[in-house]
Amino acid sequence: MSTQASTSGSVNEARGRRSAEDVEDSKKHFRVCRFIIDTGVKLGMRSVPMATACALYHRFFQSASLQVYEPYLVAMSAIYLAGKVEEQHLRTRDIINVCHRYFHPESEPLELDGKFWELRDSIVQCELLILRQLNFQVSFEHPHKYLLQYLLSVRSLLNRHAWSRTPIAETALAVLKDSYHGSVCVRHKPQHLALTSLYLALQTYGVQLPRGELEWWQVVCADITKAQIETIMSELLQLYDMEAKCT
Amino acid sequence: MERDLLRQSVSYHGENLMLLLKCEQSENPDFKRVAADLSKTLNQRDKEEGSPVLEQFIARKADLLFAPSWKTSTPADERQEESGEAHAVMPPLEQFMEVCFEERRELFYRDVERGDVVIGRINSVRDFGLFITLLCTAGGLERDIEDLEIKALCPLRCVPSTGNHDDPLSYYQIGDLLRAGVKGIDRYHEKLTLSLYSSSLPPHLDKVKLGVISKEDLPLHYTRGEKVTADSSQTYEKLLESSLGLSNPLNVDYLLGKLGVSDTQTPSLMRGLQSKHFKEDDFATAIRKKQSVSWALKCVKVGVGHFKSRRYVEAMNEYNKALEIDTNNVEALVARGALYATKGSLMKAIDDFELALENCPTHRNAKKYLCQTLVERGGQLEEEEKLVTAEGLYKRAIVLDNTFQGAAEALEKLQLRIQKSLELKEQEAAKEQEKTKTVETSAEKLRKILKEEKRMKKKRKRSTSSSTSSDTSSTSSDDSSSTSRKKSKKRKHKRRRSSHGSKKHKRRASSCSDKTVDDDIEWFPAPANTSASYIDQKQSISKLISEGEQSWEKSRCEDGRGRLDDAIDRSLENLKHGAQSEASRPGRPDVNGEVTDQHRTQSISECARNRRDSSSTQSEYSQKSDRYSKEFSLQGRKRSESERDDGRKSSGGSLKKDIPSNLLDIFSQIAEFEKEKKLQK
Repeated sequence: MSTQASTSGSVNEARGRRSAEDVEDSKKHFRVCRFIIDTGVKLGMRSVPMATACALYHRFFQSASLQVYEPYLVAMSAIYLAGKVEEQHLRTRDIINVCHRYFHPESEPLELDGKFWELRDSIVQCELLILRQLNFQVSFEHPHKYLLQYLLSVRSLLNRHAWSRTPIAETALAVLKDSYHGSVCVRHKPQHLALTSLYLALQTYGVQLPRGELEWWQVVCADITKAQIETIMSELLQLYDMEAKCT
Repeated sequence: MERDLLRQSVSYHGENLMLLLKCEQSENPDFKRVAADLSKTLNQRDKEEGSPVLEQFIARKADLLFAPSWKTSTPADERQEESGEAHAVMPPLEQFMEVCFEERRELFYRDVERGDVVIGRINSVRDFGLFITLLCTAGGLERDIEDLEIKALCPLRCVPSTGNHDDPLSYYQIGDLLRAGVKGIDRYHEKLTLSLYSSSLPPHLDKVKLGVISKEDLPLHYTRGEKVTADSSQTYEKLLESSLGLSNPLNVDYLLGKLGVSDTQTPSLMRGLQSKHFKEDDFATAIRKKQSVSWALKCVKVGVGHFKSRRYVEAMNEYNKALEIDTNNVEALVARGALYATKGSLMKAIDDFELALENCPTHRNAKKYLCQTLVERGGQLEEEEKLVTAEGLYKRAIVLDNTFQGAAEALEKLQLRIQKSLELKEQEAAKEQEKTKTVETSAEKLRKILKEEKRMKKKRKRSTSSSTSSDTSSTSSDDSSSTSRKKSKKRKHKRRRSSHGSKKHKRRASSCSDKTVDDDIEWFPAPANTSASYIDQKQSISKLISEGEQSWEKSRCEDGRGRLDDAIDRSLENLKHGAQSEASRPGRPDVNGEVTDQHRTQSISECARNRRDSSSTQSEYSQKSDRYSKEFSLQGRKRSESERDDGRKSSGGSLKKDIPSNLLDIFSQIAEFEKEKKLQK
């Protein structure tokens, strides 16, 4: 009994240690994803390429360790790769410029010297590394198109004036964009994520939709349950709490 | 904060939310304003779905969520569905949700608006209009209404006539599918009025064709809905996945556009990602620009180094490289311009400097170099006799930099030179005109006059007559041959001819005065001379006249016929030059074309009259010229008429009128003098 207790105790300890690590890791990931989204805005990236960059990053670190690979470098390469995958090509020169300024605010742009070429080389090398780590499966299905389709359908249910004064679309899209700070984006189906963000937005404003035999979200996604929605929603909302801790 | 939204939210979530809001948003002044109203409108709602996490979230982010600026989307106008499926068109959600009959009906009547498009089937045709049972909505609203059996009326006045004088209603039959616009709604009595006129639709739906339609024109969402009712296994999901529109890679962009949200500026609820935290300088394009400029400058520096060591080719390469990195880089352009100027391609240099100044109007070096290059180019043009262009360049240089001495000096010099050349040209032109006039006046006229003189000579049996006649014959032959020659040649030959017998001039003078006379009455007045250089000409001519007078005076005392003739020659030349240069100016092309002998002489006589008015000192001469004009009028007329066909264009014709009466008087006096002489002899 005592050994059992001690083993369970040590297991608990280990678990505790691991969760502490996890927490630290997730904070790190949060910061790096914030970096990705920040850079994406400054580069003028559209929502889907930005989502791809974050997804690549999360997927990479699902199987790789933070101790071995420099996360910010992986992030920069992820941005570069995502631009290629989603057909919004970005120049390495711009990525390096923006990232350099992120880490050294108000600094002069880099000179075209040896250091610059080295940085560029490292991005390109890391890109190849990401590809290999992900087994060259780099195309993702993102929730965005589902969310937009659902928005159109839901819009038809509402009175047009109610729709025009309630910022449902903005809130849902904002929630979706912010969800990329965490790995929730790669752990759930895109339809579910889309649904949840829309559900969240509707709930925020207290919008009442007509009820039929089925709820609207049951129609849109047949295999989802209320509990699942709630789970995803809480994960999404946790990210906002994390912001306060990390930044 | 949007009061109504907040109220809606709070009433949905209840008391808890209110408390949380008060807690989280206590510092927010906007919230305080609204808070008072809110507490009044609280309804308790069923609490089985309370979500504290969500409420906490709402409370924390309330300042963003309920801010008036949060709503960024602009409602895009509903366009008619495009044939290509940019996004998946789904049947109304109501259908899937199986919303009950009553609710659907109620919602329909609540939400339908004037200007919506509906499709229905005609179920009866009456005298006063058509009764239609609605099938589906086709614009503005997307609902499942087929089984609601909503009936609407399309009154007669809203049915357009079909052209002929038949009853418009005869065009329609029971069972036709009709697309109509909603004209009026009575929500309380649940009555709809439809119209078939496009005016009932809002402007962005102009293209929608109202009237009878066929099954193919039914909207996609309806046809798909039908399939769904037929086949209950078709769920929303399946339908969505199978639709082409979902696989369109650009559907996100399209849909964002349809909803009116921008893709690169999507909002965020994270505090750190709010747009106010982003500085313009941190954006990629701004940094890149700065970087390009600094890289280009480095290249320019290297290039300037090459330039100073006279390695021009390498310098040009560096400059071009710099301009590739950063087009319109000011320093690179200025440096390249300087290189061009040094190598002699002044026009390219000027282009580069101009471009540099466009981008940076205060660049000192650019201005300086541009001035210098303009002056240099002006000098080049001066040598090529393109004086006007040169003048323009100098003026531009001065405009650019008032303190640039070189430009001002060069401009002054040039202007003097222009003036001088103008004067020279005038003189030459006058002389040329005189000469040509006299020469062109007519070979025949001269011959006649000569014949007369010969007769006179023979009568008087003068010893010198042979020489004069020989002279005159020679000169007349000269004249006749020279009539066909161009004016420029004549100008060159002028000096030679002036060395011929002086009597030739007399002949010309006499025939000149002949010419002046006859054309008085017959021909049109010449166009007015409106050029400002006229003033200069006047002065120059008056100078000439005074010269001529002096010489004439002298010749009166002495037998200085030769000198007088020379003076006349000079004056003629000046006038002709002046006339030519004046006419060559772009402002008077019409004069060139129209001038013929008649005009010339006519204008001369007119001018002669003007001159008479203007000059006060030569009144006596004018009287004499009148006399002589009358004398030679007859002869002159005949001659001039034969000369009308003379196709030679004379650019100096316009100025012939400028020959002052003084000169004419001189000529007439010469003629008189000669005659006297002959008479004496």
